[in-house]
Amino acid sequence: MAKSRNEDVSLDMTPMIDVVFQLIIFFVVTLKMSDDKDSTIKLADGKNGIVLTQEELPPSQLTIDVAASGRVSMSNITMSDAMIVDAVKKRVNAYGTDFPCMIRADKTTPHKHVAKVMNLCAAAGMWKVSFVAIQEHKANK
Amino acid sequence: MARKQYDNPKAEMTPMIDVVFQLMIFFIVTIKQEDIFSKLNANRPAPNASSAQSEENDTQIKIDIGPRGVVFNGRGMSFKMLDDNIKKLAASSTKSTVLVRCTLDSPHGFLVHVLDICNKYKMYNLSIFSM
Repeated sequence: MAKSRNEDVSLDMTPMIDVVFQLIIFFVVTLKMSDDKDSTIKLADGKNGIVLTQEELPPSQLTIDVAASGRVSMSNITMSDAMIVDAVKKRVNAYGTDFPCMIRADKTTPHKHVAKVMNLCAAAGMWKVSFVAIQEHKANK
Repeated sequence: MARKQYDNPKAEMTPMIDVVFQLMIFFIVTIKQEDIFSKLNANRPAPNASSAQSEENDTQIKIDIGPRGVVFNGRGMSFKMLDDNIKKLAASSTKSTVLVRCTLDSPHGFLVHVLDICNKYKMYNLSIFSM
């Protein structure tokens, strides 16, 4: 009898395939291709700042990256001074000065580069800026 | 004949399951957790510093940041000491304005550290000057 059962092995695959597809869909959806920022930037620690969640950021937000070399970029596209002023001015015209204007600068960036970006923002009318820091390290090096 | 094929649906599952497992392993391996970010708000007063300097009053706290560290009340100090000093000042009032003055060659990390300390003690009136 045991022999007969072994020969007639018809395992029901459907639940397993269902689960596996669910897992795949979960990972596809949660996967973020995050090359829209300068990945060379190592942020400083800021444990006491306001927690920043990507989901809660309004679409009006503007993030300016400043690398240690002084390269200023937005969405990983190198920007000239005039382009920065232009971009900030457009936001100021559309949303007033209440949108979050965030500067992601490397911790070793000399202040002159950050000061330049802040001055450009101020020239465009945006004098409230925020600096992005790391609240909690999660990404393994 | 078509009827017979339909009656006996013995689809080969093995390749599909292979592919699906490959995909799953790929996505499990490529997924990586993001750091949790925080933001530190600050004001950048208008570039003409003269107007800001003229309206000085005694509730302003001045912190200078140089290439090697911070200077507070004319004394160079560690971030730990600055933390203690800000704590004392915040105990009396958190409304006072903190003027953070950075030299052009100071690293951005120091500025973030100082802003972080001010945020810790709920001093949110922060202005950044460059010199």
